[in-house]
Amino acid sequence: MINWTLYKRGIQGSWKMLLIFAAVITMYFTIIVSMFDPELRSALDEFAKAMPDLMAMVGMNPASGELISFMSAYLYGFIMLIFPMIFSILSANKLIARHVERGSMTYLMAAPVKRTTVTFTQMKVMGTGLFVLIFYATVLGIVVCEISFPGELAIRQFILVNAGVLCLQFFIGGICFLSSCIFNTSKYAVGVGAGVPALAFIIQMMSDAGKELESIKYATFFTLFNPDRIIAGEADAFWGMAILLVGAIILFWTAIVVFSKKDMHI
Amino acid sequence: MSICEIQGLTRDYGKGHGIFDVSFSIEQGEIFGFLGPNGSGKTTTIRHLMGFLKPAKGSCTIDGMDCWKNSADIQNNLGYIPGEMAFFDDMTGMEFLSFMAKYRKMKTAGRTKELLERFELDAQANLKKMSKGMKQKVGIVAAFMHDPDVFILDEPTSGLDPLMQSRFVELVLEEKARGKTILMSSHMFEEVERTCHRVAIIKDGRLVATDSVDALKAAQIKKYVITLESEESASAFANEGLQISAVLENHVTVIVQNDIKKLISVMNLYPVTNIFAPNQSLEEIFMQYYGGGKS
Repeated sequence: MINWTLYKRGIQGSWKMLLIFAAVITMYFTIIVSMFDPELRSALDEFAKAMPDLMAMVGMNPASGELISFMSAYLYGFIMLIFPMIFSILSANKLIARHVERGSMTYLMAAPVKRTTVTFTQMKVMGTGLFVLIFYATVLGIVVCEISFPGELAIRQFILVNAGVLCLQFFIGGICFLSSCIFNTSKYAVGVGAGVPALAFIIQMMSDAGKELESIKYATFFTLFNPDRIIAGEADAFWGMAILLVGAIILFWTAIVVFSKKDMHI
Repeated sequence: MSICEIQGLTRDYGKGHGIFDVSFSIEQGEIFGFLGPNGSGKTTTIRHLMGFLKPAKGSCTIDGMDCWKNSADIQNNLGYIPGEMAFFDDMTGMEFLSFMAKYRKMKTAGRTKELLERFELDAQANLKKMSKGMKQKVGIVAAFMHDPDVFILDEPTSGLDPLMQSRFVELVLEEKARGKTILMSSHMFEEVERTCHRVAIIKDGRLVATDSVDALKAAQIKKYVITLESEESASAFANEGLQISAVLENHVTVIVQNDIKKLISVMNLYPVTNIFAPNQSLEEIFMQYYGGGKS
């Protein structure tokens, strides 16, 4: 089901990109965590008071003065949604659609390797990338917090939030991968693969921004990931995670089926 | 025993594009030429054989296996040279070849070394920086390295210089002698003439002829352009009773079907300075083939 030669090649092609994303995440984590001030309320909270709409729009809406809420508000409302999403968009296109567009898919097909094996392997490459990125963020978050504010972070909840983000990112990855398997040119693969999650994210931002638009949150899958409710241990937050994960499996499965049946002019 | 069977293969892209009711079969140990001008449907037919396209109508099999359903099994024993070479980014030729060997689950590098030497290819260079001819050589090595029994070669000599073209022809003839079955597409009759015993000619998506190379050659009318010393001798030459198609200044174009001897004897009487046989287009060849068949 998996071709390890292709998998290795895929990982070799991803690690530079992963390194860049990891560096960006490291920068944000260290800066944001250093801004946390348990006693005096943080500078960011001042911003939130001064410009509540703007801060809410980018998902920065702290629920309480705890370190975990602070992190979930300032890191898991924007940075940890957007950066892994960009990784998915780039990686999905690179792994399938670009090979079809350039014609290098010919060599992957002109070998005794089933199409389903090729797509399954490429899916694994992408999944590995997302997992590594979020696993790194989890470890990084814990380490940075323990250095700056020993014992302040609720580690168990923090891990659960990251598990939630992983489910969400697998779902987004599924959309990008499906788009990459359907379309034969990068233009459309990226257009749809990036367009759908971007639109969903914009709807999420709008629903956060004002009370009158709150009901449109049901039109976006981002609602299924709610870090505040995960921290609070609410059951619906875990159902949301489960739905995202099942949705991701369906999306990837559909992508593999679509690719195995399509005509390829390579 | 027939290795490759195509029956009633049809794929309509609309506006007259596509392939229509294409049928032929290739016997074991045969080099089969697949001739047609650019855009006539050669590559579309080959894509069906490779399992890239699902037949809308008709069927194709290799070794008795369906080309669409069993493509991965067929590929075990098949070597393919695509019409367009497209490799991966940032790989040297050698890296690509060893990637392909491992991807195919080959236990050794197979014939890689021998083939690289045969085509005098230094595959250490980056694929992106290679010339068209070098890329073509990498493609040839990738198609032959696992020593398959069936070959599908889509315009395999494009980009190769004449010396390498002959090396390639030698390789193909050797493989045939070893009992391999080869389908080779081309848009030049001269190229398949050297290797194939049978050819199928495709035009506008339809097979117009499937015959032996000898039969096509017999029907072929040759043109020779004879250059003489002066215009006067050219016009006198033109009046010797040969079949003349054109006289331009001191050049005379003579059409010869069978009696080359007569042309030679006439040429002996005149101050001939040059003789030239232009390559004939495929169109001309099958026009003649049909003209000859009817009369």
